[in-house]
Amino acid sequence: MAITKDIVGKKLDRFDFTVERGKIKEFCLAINEKNPIYFDVEEAKKAGYSDVPAPPTFPTVIMFWGYPKIWNDMAELGIDLSKILHLKEEYTYHKILYPGKVYAQSEISDVKSGRAEIVTFRTTIYDEKDDPILSAEMAIFIRKD
Amino acid sequence: MAKIEFDKVEVGQTLPPLDIPVIEHANLVRYAGASGDFNPIHNDPDFARKAGLDGTISHGMYVMAQVGRLCTSWADQKDIAYFGVTFKAMTKLGEKLTCVGTIKKKFEKDGKKTVTVLVEAKNEAGEVKAGGDLVVNAV
Repeated sequence: MAITKDIVGKKLDRFDFTVERGKIKEFCLAINEKNPIYFDVEEAKKAGYSDVPAPPTFPTVIMFWGYPKIWNDMAELGIDLSKILHLKEEYTYHKILYPGKVYAQSEISDVKSGRAEIVTFRTTIYDEKDDPILSAEMAIFIRKD
Repeated sequence: MAKIEFDKVEVGQTLPPLDIPVIEHANLVRYAGASGDFNPIHNDPDFARKAGLDGTISHGMYVMAQVGRLCTSWADQKDIAYFGVTFKAMTKLGEKLTCVGTIKKKFEKDGKKTVTVLVEAKNEAGEVKAGGDLVVNAV
């Protein structure tokens, strides 16, 4: 099934996610990040943070753990999951992402069809006051056989 | 991490490079668990081969996370305004990557000082796996 422009603007379900210090630690261990600001609140405070910050690419955790339905959504859009490659990921940061409850809303922001099919999802992550913390753009490329 | 001093950085200047340990299957299994990205092309060799690949490939985001470490080892994370990469080639198991950065642009607008850095992850042959921009607020 070819992907068409009609799906641009389609919103995925809004969801919430609780960023936990333990999850930040687990993520940092997985990427070999060793800076103590990501592990120890006191070290983070000494460096001018109010709590342990989530590292720059942590928002991907919010997407995949907070919204595992993304795989079903992609399949329903006609995307063959065995053929997708990550093409681009961009983050625009407004605030530091700290432990606590956040909300996220994704939408399909762009589609390129034809020889190369590319679908872009834009996700904005908000704090509890509905202020945006960051926005993420994920573009996936669908390989042809 | 110190603030980036606008007057002390020059276009063309390079960041201290960051060597990444050889990427092994265990790194990707662990990253899958931590990130929640369980696409089997990254953790199931049989699935990856059936999908037409030679074997499992790294999550692009694992590579981007390494570039992210380069960024936060240079700049204070509080000063990072933008970080984005394009994935240019697949990273296979056994590859050894190095993350590098080169200052691309610096500009001042409305009293706000900004530095843009070209950041990349390359393998030993110089093939760029991920490359993009880091935008930092400077003082």
